[in-house]
Amino acid sequence: MASVKLTKVKKIYDNKVVAVHDFDLDIHDKEFVVFVGPSGCGKSTTLRMIAGLEDISEGTVEIDGEVVNDLQPKDRGIAMVFQNYALYPHMSVYDNIAFSLRLQKVPEDVVYERVTNAAEVLGITEYLMRKPRALSGGQRQRVAIGRAMVRDSKVFLMDEPLSNLDAKLRNQMRAEIILLRQKLDTTFIYVTHDQTEAMTLGDRIVIMKDGYIMQVGTPTEVFEMPENLFVAEFIGAPKMNIVKTNLVKEGDKYFVTPFGAKLPVTGEKGKMLAEKNVKPGEILLGVRPEHMTLGAEGEGSIPCHLVVNEMMGSELHLHVDTADGSRLIVRIPTIDLDKEGRSALVGGHNLHVTFEGKAMHFFDPATEKNLLV
Amino acid sequence: MENKRHMGLRTLNRVSNTAIYILLIVISIVWLIPFIFIVLQSFRVESTYQVGYVIPHQWGWQNYINLWNSDFKRWYLNTFIIALAAAVFVTVIQLCMSYTLSRFRFKLRGPLMRFMLILGMFPGMLTMIILYRVLSDLGLTQANAVPGLILVSVASSGMGYYVSKGFFDTIPKSLDEAARVDGATRAQVLYKIILPLSKPIVIYTILTAFMGPWGDYVFARYVAMGTSAGYNVAVGMYSWLTNDQIARMYTTFCAGGVIVAVPVTILFLCLQKYYVEGVTGGAVKG
Repeated sequence: MASVKLTKVKKIYDNKVVAVHDFDLDIHDKEFVVFVGPSGCGKSTTLRMIAGLEDISEGTVEIDGEVVNDLQPKDRGIAMVFQNYALYPHMSVYDNIAFSLRLQKVPEDVVYERVTNAAEVLGITEYLMRKPRALSGGQRQRVAIGRAMVRDSKVFLMDEPLSNLDAKLRNQMRAEIILLRQKLDTTFIYVTHDQTEAMTLGDRIVIMKDGYIMQVGTPTEVFEMPENLFVAEFIGAPKMNIVKTNLVKEGDKYFVTPFGAKLPVTGEKGKMLAEKNVKPGEILLGVRPEHMTLGAEGEGSIPCHLVVNEMMGSELHLHVDTADGSRLIVRIPTIDLDKEGRSALVGGHNLHVTFEGKAMHFFDPATEKNLLV
Repeated sequence: MENKRHMGLRTLNRVSNTAIYILLIVISIVWLIPFIFIVLQSFRVESTYQVGYVIPHQWGWQNYINLWNSDFKRWYLNTFIIALAAAVFVTVIQLCMSYTLSRFRFKLRGPLMRFMLILGMFPGMLTMIILYRVLSDLGLTQANAVPGLILVSVASSGMGYYVSKGFFDTIPKSLDEAARVDGATRAQVLYKIILPLSKPIVIYTILTAFMGPWGDYVFARYVAMGTSAGYNVAVGMYSWLTNDQIARMYTTFCAGGVIVAVPVTILFLCLQKYYVEGVTGGAVKG
């Protein structure tokens, strides 16, 4: 169990490409932190620098208060699970899990005890004598986790451990990782490109883009108050609808005017705009698909026509085009619609979309920063 | 109709398979004739010179006894020591070199690999004179040819990194990384993880390293310079084929040929499965 502190960590490759810029982060003891971002954002590179598998070009990495920049991976007190499992194909599951303990010259009876305990926790006891090639993807991933578990390490690193699994198994393993975390009660750093994994697993999420940290926060914080447009669009599925529109102030009340409609900014958001004294003018308005609803024709709704209706089971994803051709996505729970209402939602059907002031996010069109942060 | 077509296809397959097997059997026989010939001649005891028939009229072990009583033992031992030492050292050096070039990134790595590749394209004969001078200055010629020949085989062995590097490249790097996180040193990664996964290429390297000196003639003769104590089998046995010796030593020469083939044949029979995998492994292993 340990804290991890990254100070101004930078990664510059030989070809002068900067993969990670001045990365600052304090990870607390027993915290589960998730690095998330699109491919090439530097999340895996950062994790590998913590692991000692990549040199740190600038800055320091501390584990439990000790600078580990120049320490070998084995001396950093970490355990790591790799995306492609990285099991040793010529060894049995037992030998795979026991490998690190045997290198440490741990007595064989202790090795046996720890390997069988880990196998029991992970439900792979019956496969201990098998070779990795005789296991399914999920079982292999469990072995990889088991191999990391027996090391009694201070920090548990996971590099996209679920990416190679099919969707169903991924959901199952995700739940198992949550349980594992409860059992191990240690510090976790987890890398993924899947925002659902990040939201469900992390105590805090670090959202990255092009080697920069875009935002660090709890899942609720990054979802409800994204600091910039990138985070707003990256977190949430389907992604947030972004509309270029005007913010209008009448008296002490704010309105937005997307596609000819006029919608009041009510509640907390209205108060925050006033407190921040945000000037009226052109803004980027963000509204999540699940915060949009179908409404009646009028000043407070946007006329659209339906292009695609995706039936997701518990909800419908309506892809609608506004008068100027902008595409919006509206998420409607199927339970809110009766049979007739549902059957009316076919391509070409005209409808009206509306949303409440509390669901609005405001971004500066130039800096793409959230105007309320 | 459909059935008939299937029947036709099956017959065609059978005919073409039979033709292929007949061709292969004929090729095998042609291939085996010299070996059978040498084996039969080595047991001929009624005369020691070349004759116009293949099956001996009188069979016996005399030629092998002659071998035992000649310098052949010394030559055989010389060759075995050179080949064994080359197999051990060349394998170790070549595999370490290949692993280094496959896994480490260092300055001038690319130019170094290209340089060695180009250097390897020059025929070894070109270096013979200078190598002889170097060995001569070191006192490693004539009666001391054995350590000299070992040195020559081993010295340039790193340049043969290509096949094994290709094989190592196909082993995921994450295995090395996982092992390093697990606490292994680079050397432990090589011999606990990479080498067990590279059995075919290790066997291939051992075999080729052994075979080179085992069949060497030109350079071995040059370095031994007429001193019997420094001969290997090829050079020593060739000395029996001179005009004044051949009539007396021909069948003994055949017996020597059989004995020379024994260890190599045994090695190949035991390791042929790995050898084929090794030759093709680096190219196609996914």
